[in-house]
Amino acid sequence: MSAADWQRIDRLPNIYCAGCGNGSVINCTLAAVEEMGWTRENTVFISGIGCSSRAPGYILTDSLHTTHGRALAFATGVKLANPALNVVVFTGDGDLAAIGGNHFIHACRRNVDMTAICMNNQIYGMTGGQGSPTTPRGAISTTTPYGSAEPVFDLAELAVAAGANHVARWTSYHVKELMAAIATGLQTPGFSLVEVMTQCPTNYGRRNRLRQVSDMIEHLRTHALLVQKRDRLIREGKPIPEGMFVVGELVRRHRPAMGVRA
Amino acid sequence: MRLVIDESRCKGCNLCVLVCPYGIFREGREQNQRGVIVPELDRPERCTNCRLQHLYGRLLCGMCQMICPDQAIAWEEERPYEPHRVEVEF
Ligand SMILES: Cc1ncc(C[n+]2csc(CCOP(=O)(O)OP(=O)(O)O)c2C)c(N)n1
Ligand code: SF4
Ligand code: SF4
Ligand SMILES: [Mg+2]
Repeated sequence: MSAADWQRIDRLPNIYCAGCGNGSVINCTLAAVEEMGWTRENTVFISGIGCSSRAPGYILTDSLHTTHGRALAFATGVKLANPALNVVVFTGDGDLAAIGGNHFIHACRRNVDMTAICMNNQIYGMTGGQGSPTTPRGAISTTTPYGSAEPVFDLAELAVAAGANHVARWTSYHVKELMAAIATGLQTPGFSLVEVMTQCPTNYGRRNRLRQVSDMIEHLRTHALLVQKRDRLIREGKPIPEGMFVVGELVRRHRPAMGVRA
Repeated sequence: MRLVIDESRCKGCNLCVLVCPYGIFREGREQNQRGVIVPELDRPERCTNCRLQHLYGRLLCGMCQMICPDQAIAWEEERPYEPHRVEVEF
C-alpha cells in the first residue's frame, strides 16, 4: 500500500482554498500512518468542526466528524471501548483550544493513547476569520478589527504542562519533519499532540499583509525557531527573538497512559 | 516514470514551485478550462523520481507531492521505450 491508497479520491478536489495548508498536513499524516503499517480497518480518524476538521472526510477509513470542540471526548470513548483501534484526531486551534479547551487539557492529563494533529492557522477559518486563542497580538481578524489585544495560548507548551507523553510542533512548510514527528506520535504510547502552524491565506493572510501563499510560507519559515537553538540561546543568556515560535520535539516521556493495547 | 500534475485537482497555489529543489515547476501563464493557472514543468525528466524510482524501488525526494495540498502530483508509468531527451547538467 502507499499513502495514496488512504485517500478518498472520489471527493477530490477538496473544499480547501487554493494554497491552504490543511491538505499538506493530510499528506504528511497519511505518509506517517502508512509507515506504521496500519491498515484502513484498524485505524480511525476523528475530528471536531472547522476547515481542519474536514480532513477525515478525505480518508478511506471509518471516521467520526463530531461536534465542535468535542473530538477528543469522542476519541477517548472510541479508544477506551476498543483499545485495538489506532486513533488519530484532526483538530483546529479554535476547535482544540477555544471551545474544546477543557477536553484538551484532560485528554493530556489522562494521557489517552492517541495522536492529535492540530492545524493551527491562528484563526477561525471556516466561519470567516474570527480571532481564536492563538491569534497573535496585533493581528487583524473580524472580531479584532483594531488588532488583537489578548495574550495567546502556546498549545504545545500547554500539552506539555498538562501531561501529554509526546509533544511536537512543526509547520505545513516543513513536510518531511512534520511527517517524522507524526510518526513518532503514532509510535508513542499515550497522548501525543503534533501542532502544525498552517497557512490560511483566505482568512488570516488576507487581513494581515500576507495575501500571497508564498508570503505566508515565508512567514512560517522565518518565524520557526528550532528547539535546540532556543535552548542554546537560553544557555547563553541571550534573548529569544520576538514573534518566533519553537519547532521540534518538545517532550517524549513515559507517564502512565490510558487505553494502551495490552 | 513521468511527473504529472492532475489538472482536475490543481488549484494553482504554486507551493510545488517553492519546494522543488530542481526548479522543475514554474509558475504557469495560461488559465485552463477550470480557470486555474496550473504550473508548467521545465524539463521534468530531470526529476530524481522520474529517473531513479524504479532503480531504488521507493519514492525519492517527493517534496512536491508531499506539500501539494490538493493531491495533484504523481508519477506515471511510461510506455516502454518511450523516447525522451535527458539533459545532464554539470
Ligand atoms: C457549538 C458550536 N459553536 C460554534 C460553531 C461555529 N463554528 C464552526 S467552525 C468554528 C471555528 C473553527 O475554528 P478552527 O477550529 O480553528 O478551525 P479552522 O476552520 O480554522 O480550521 C466555529 C466557531 C459550531 N459549529 N458549533
Ligand atoms: S478558510 Fe483558511 S483554513 Fe479554511 S480552507 Fe480556506 S485557507 Fe484553509
Ligand atoms: S502544489 Fe499542487 S495545487 Fe498547488 S500549484 Fe502545485 S500541483 Fe497545483
Ligand atoms: Mg483555525
